[in-house]
Amino acid sequence: MLSATKLRFFYAMVLFFVLSWVLMSSVFASSNRELAFYSISEAEQSVALAYDAVLNAERAGANVSGLLVRLNDAAGLLSEARMAFEAGNFDESVRLSRLSSGIGGQVWDEAETLRVEASDAAADRVWLFFAESVLAVAFVLFASFAGYLYFKRWYYRRLLKMRPRVGQV
Amino acid sequence: MTFRFQDYRTLFLGASLISVLLAASPVLSTVVSFPRGGERFSELWLLGPNHMAEDYPFNVRVGENYSVYLGLSNHMGEAMYYAVYVKFRNQSQPLPNSTLSQPSSLSSLYELRAFAADGGTWEKLVTFSFLEFSRFGNSSFVKGLVINDQVVHVDSSAVWDVEHVGLYYQLFFELWLYDVPLQGFVFHNRFVGIWINMTG
Repeated sequence: MLSATKLRFFYAMVLFFVLSWVLMSSVFASSNRELAFYSISEAEQSVALAYDAVLNAERAGANVSGLLVRLNDAAGLLSEARMAFEAGNFDESVRLSRLSSGIGGQVWDEAETLRVEASDAAADRVWLFFAESVLAVAFVLFASFAGYLYFKRWYYRRLLKMRPRVGQV
Repeated sequence: MTFRFQDYRTLFLGASLISVLLAASPVLSTVVSFPRGGERFSELWLLGPNHMAEDYPFNVRVGENYSVYLGLSNHMGEAMYYAVYVKFRNQSQPLPNSTLSQPSSLSSLYELRAFAADGGTWEKLVTFSFLEFSRFGNSSFVKGLVINDQVVHVDSSAVWDVEHVGLYYQLFFELWLYDVPLQGFVFHNRFVGIWINMTG
């Protein structure tokens, strides 16, 4: 038989462990929730930045269809992560949002590369067009001036060959 | 009619000027930009389970699976980032306000996100089933839905519609668009939905 003191000590220990377990589990749940929330925010930002980079690449003239397919994957994972968060499945939410962030980061890198390439190609094209236009304008001006001189000479030569006509007053 | 030499000279000058503009057109095209014509818009649609605009789920029961195809099309002039919020309402709860371009005040049960290139389309099969449904006299309560294998909690009640003979709910989809300067989604004033008659 346990004495009353030992029994009280036993009950106090049990109470202590139960309270500790409740406290620790709520702390872990809270930290899991915070981690999931943070991961989702990070993924949201990563996908949004990737989208911005893809838009800039598209405006620079790059073909972004491949990047959009991958962004769709990232967006799908992100919405699944958000739904998992709402359902309280924080570990799955963290896993999915990290996958989404990863794809977002890769897409951002590739979009930046494509944007720089497209901008360089556009700059080259402008120089080529400029050179073509200068040559073409120079040729047109030269041809017009030469044609004008030729026509002027032909016009006055024809005028000199004309006989004056005497009319009645 | 006789032409003087000055007339010919004017003709020469005009022809030369037009030729110069034509010759300079490649470089002018890079400097001068013309506004894009046409209206910018997005399409949102729902198709039945056979990928046709028919056989939409209507008389539904608890525990059975139903599906619809949700699609969108981008005509906004550049790639777009969309979010579709799935909401559930009874006949008296608010729909989005198209006049004021405001979304429904009901909370979203499920969300889908998509990117679409300009002129591109996106489509997804949405499956749903009802978990809990109870009926007391003329009233009914829906407590749980499963959308794309995700259990979502709803607390929606409907009363018996004498005119249309049924207990009606609506599952509807709102289209939102990502606004880069705002760094968030804004309601795009498009929504589609299906009416559901809970039969048991």
